[in-house]
Amino acid sequence: MITLQNVTMMYKASARPALHDLSLEIGKGEFAFLIGPSGSGKSTFFRLLLKEDKPTSGDVYVGDYHVNKLSGRRVPQLRQSLGCVFQDFRLLQQKTVAENVGFALEVIGKPRNVIDRTVPQVLDYVGLGGKANRMPSELSGGEKQRVAIARAIANRPLLLLADEPTGNLDPDTSAEIVDVLDRINRAGTTVVMATHDRHIVDSMRRRVIEFRMGEMVRDDATGVYGLGR
Amino acid sequence: MRASFITSEVVTGLRRNVSMTIAMILTTAISLGLFGGGLLVVRMADKSQDIFLQRVEIQVFVDDKVAADDPDCQKSVCQALESKIKSQPGVDSLDYISKDKAYEIAKTKTFANQPDLADLVRPGVLPASFKVRINDDKQFGGVIDAIKNEPGVSSVLDQREVVKRMFSVLDGARNAAFFVALIQAVAAVLLIANMVQVAAYTRRTEVSIMRLVGATRWYTQLPFLLEAVLSAVIGATLAVIGLFVGNKLVFEWAMNEFYAKNLLARVTVTDVLLVSPWLYVVGAGFAAVTAYLTLRFYVRE
Repeated sequence: MITLQNVTMMYKASARPALHDLSLEIGKGEFAFLIGPSGSGKSTFFRLLLKEDKPTSGDVYVGDYHVNKLSGRRVPQLRQSLGCVFQDFRLLQQKTVAENVGFALEVIGKPRNVIDRTVPQVLDYVGLGGKANRMPSELSGGEKQRVAIARAIANRPLLLLADEPTGNLDPDTSAEIVDVLDRINRAGTTVVMATHDRHIVDSMRRRVIEFRMGEMVRDDATGVYGLGR
Repeated sequence: MRASFITSEVVTGLRRNVSMTIAMILTTAISLGLFGGGLLVVRMADKSQDIFLQRVEIQVFVDDKVAADDPDCQKSVCQALESKIKSQPGVDSLDYISKDKAYEIAKTKTFANQPDLADLVRPGVLPASFKVRINDDKQFGGVIDAIKNEPGVSSVLDQREVVKRMFSVLDGARNAAFFVALIQAVAAVLLIANMVQVAAYTRRTEVSIMRLVGATRWYTQLPFLLEAVLSAVIGATLAVIGLFVGNKLVFEWAMNEFYAKNLLARVTVTDVLLVSPWLYVVGAGFAAVTAYLTLRFYVRE
């Protein structure tokens, strides 16, 4: 699903590379945690997958897309096959829950009848069945993140990228969110989750990829947070 | 691409930045109004010039000595000149104005309302002349060339040159209108660019989500483009209304005397109607190009 071959990313203003000679593969249907301190390269990794940045050297593949060679016109197609969830939820405050989820389908030109059918389904899937008409300001942190997840999976992406989705949530709510992500993964979607949450990583025992100063220092098939330091 | 989505985004965007939208509409309206005014001046000048050019004549001034010697143009030199003029292609008619007649015309017509100037005119001072009416514009030059060196000819006046000098004043008015319109246009372009950037910033969350979920660049940019074009179209409409009202209430009143004396061609409703589409084309075109270029630099891939 994801292949990086000798990828180096050097930002202009920086003395050291954000990612250095990284080679990595994440298979279809996998669930992988991405851990490491701030500045270790996790966000850069995500940005490269989304083609928000182009690597200084090396190649990035996502599914059938050779991402760093992708023309500008095809970048929307790549991004339609990905779902993204962020720590700050990034909901539209003036739209209802249903409208927030539907927005992601509207802007890629999905017909009205498809949107009307899909939105209730995904809201049910993430456990927000009765909250379609609520505004984001009326929701808890966990509920907001569920809306964000619903939006991310509405178009049935092959890959879900979650950049510290539990960063603003309490432990119980965090566990609920990771449950949702786990369910999504079991349904076939590849999930890569960047996190600082030791408890979640340790409890799930999934693949753990650790970055440190732009290098991959660990890749455990069923790892825990602290092992290998 | 879903039209209902784009439409709702455009309406939302215009509502969110009401004050900036109004500023843009007004600036565009003023700019396009001045541009339209310039176009109307051009039309008026062209039509007026046509009217005058149909009436202009060549005036062949007869040598003073010949005229004094032959007041009624009966003798050989004057007669030969008259025949020479009549024989030229394009000559429609010919009137001989003797020195006495020229004096009478000056006193009773030319300086009728300016007695001080009329008093300065003495009998015998003004030259005799042939007033030659030409029926074919293209023959003017040929007729002048054929007779300017003939015996008895003092000088030749091509009244087209007089008319053209007169209409250079109108050219000046047109150029002034276009110049001010250009300054306003620069202001309008900067306002459009500013409005697009403010709109994009205000909707940065939506734009970032649109980019992340895979909306095409066109889908992301089109609402902003359409906002700018719609504002320009509303501005053009105001400008057109302004031209109609301005022409009816102000221009016609100011130019009434000239119209009555048939010195200038009237600016009609048809003229305004013919000029109006250009305001929409130029306004919408400028707005679309400016918005597109602003977004190219502002909204990343």
